[in-house]
Amino acid sequence: MINQTVEHATALSDTAHHAAEAAAEHGESGVDFILHHILSHPVIKLPTVFGIDLSISNHVIMMWIISAILIISFGVAFRKPALVPRGLANALESLVLYIRNDIILPNLGHDARSYAPYLLTAFFFIMLCNLAGLVPYGSTATGNIAVTGTMAILTFMVVQIAAIRKHGLLGYFMMFSPPGIPFLLKFIMVPVEVISMVTKHFALAIRLFANMIAGHITILALMSIIFFFKNWLITPFPLAIILFSSLLEILISLIQAYVFTILSAVFISASLATEH
Amino acid sequence: MTPSGGTIFWTTVTFIILLLILGKFAWRPILAMLDERESRIRESLELAEKARIASQKTLAEQDQILDAARKEAQDILAKSRKTADVTKDEIIKKASSEAEALITKARREIEMSRDKAIEEIRDLAVELSMNATAKLVGKSLDEKDHQALIDDSLHKLGELN
Repeated sequence: MINQTVEHATALSDTAHHAAEAAAEHGESGVDFILHHILSHPVIKLPTVFGIDLSISNHVIMMWIISAILIISFGVAFRKPALVPRGLANALESLVLYIRNDIILPNLGHDARSYAPYLLTAFFFIMLCNLAGLVPYGSTATGNIAVTGTMAILTFMVVQIAAIRKHGLLGYFMMFSPPGIPFLLKFIMVPVEVISMVTKHFALAIRLFANMIAGHITILALMSIIFFFKNWLITPFPLAIILFSSLLEILISLIQAYVFTILSAVFISASLATEH
Repeated sequence: MTPSGGTIFWTTVTFIILLLILGKFAWRPILAMLDERESRIRESLELAEKARIASQKTLAEQDQILDAARKEAQDILAKSRKTADVTKDEIIKKASSEAEALITKARREIEMSRDKAIEEIRDLAVELSMNATAKLVGKSLDEKDHQALIDDSLHKLGELN
């Protein structure tokens, strides 16, 4: 009897010990597991040129795949643009039409022709990058601050170029000095305008990056619960929430692509506006 | 987590190439096609509106023509009815006057024949009575007796008549 109890206790303590060990081990590997899936890692090593490591990471490969998908699908669908589209062309056209009618034309109007290609490309590129993270073996390029930062810098540059083209170089600099305020106040207002010009694009990068990475961290963290417990009985619960999160991710992917595009359009139209 | 220069470089290159390719082969034709379709739809709608107005006008004109035709037909009918009435009246009038004339003529002829017959009968009666008297008496009467006899016979005939 006593022996049995001791054995039982030992077994229990052993189990507890193992569990703790496993928890420690998998807790750490859980973080690794998450980071491994989120961070970019070089796939093809390339030399460093002018201090820039030109290695091709998995995110760069995802962007290439997405670019290829876009070029091929649009190339196939619109080889001969028909006035009455059908099939794939119809599906793609409905998206293009939506972006054109809901984002580009209301914001840019007459200048739509000049900036529509950038906004359309940005929308489709970001949307597919966002969705690619949900595909097995895929990774989210837009969950990389370098990618979203580059996109934001491109929008920033388009906005500056739009303003310079519209108002000229002098008019462009005058944009930072809103008219109708006392001279002394300009010492405050000009830096504020400059800071606002930079921060709104910075926010553009952070918003997309944070939205994308947060969703993936949530899904991966829920998934590592299964590894943490090492018990298949627990699996339905994380899986249910993962399913829900994944569906939410699809929604967020589309919304964030839309938000990035509409904000870019708004920034461009603001820089084109003659009055402040 | 620090943004890597390589990724920034490759993202820029990828995006700009994608922008150029899609801009040339996708966005330009698609946007041109959308514009064309919109203008064509607008034109079609305008055309349809014009056609609608034109057809409405034509319909109104047709209605007008139909109304005019109907009115004309009614006029013609009324006029012809009037003419028919007039003609009928004329015919009736003419017929009745002719009939009257005929009747008058017939009556006059009848009267004439009757007068003639009476005259003949009177002459015959005179002759007969004269013959009868001559036979009866066997001798000629004098002028005075003749006259008396004739008058008497005439008187009797007048009563008979």
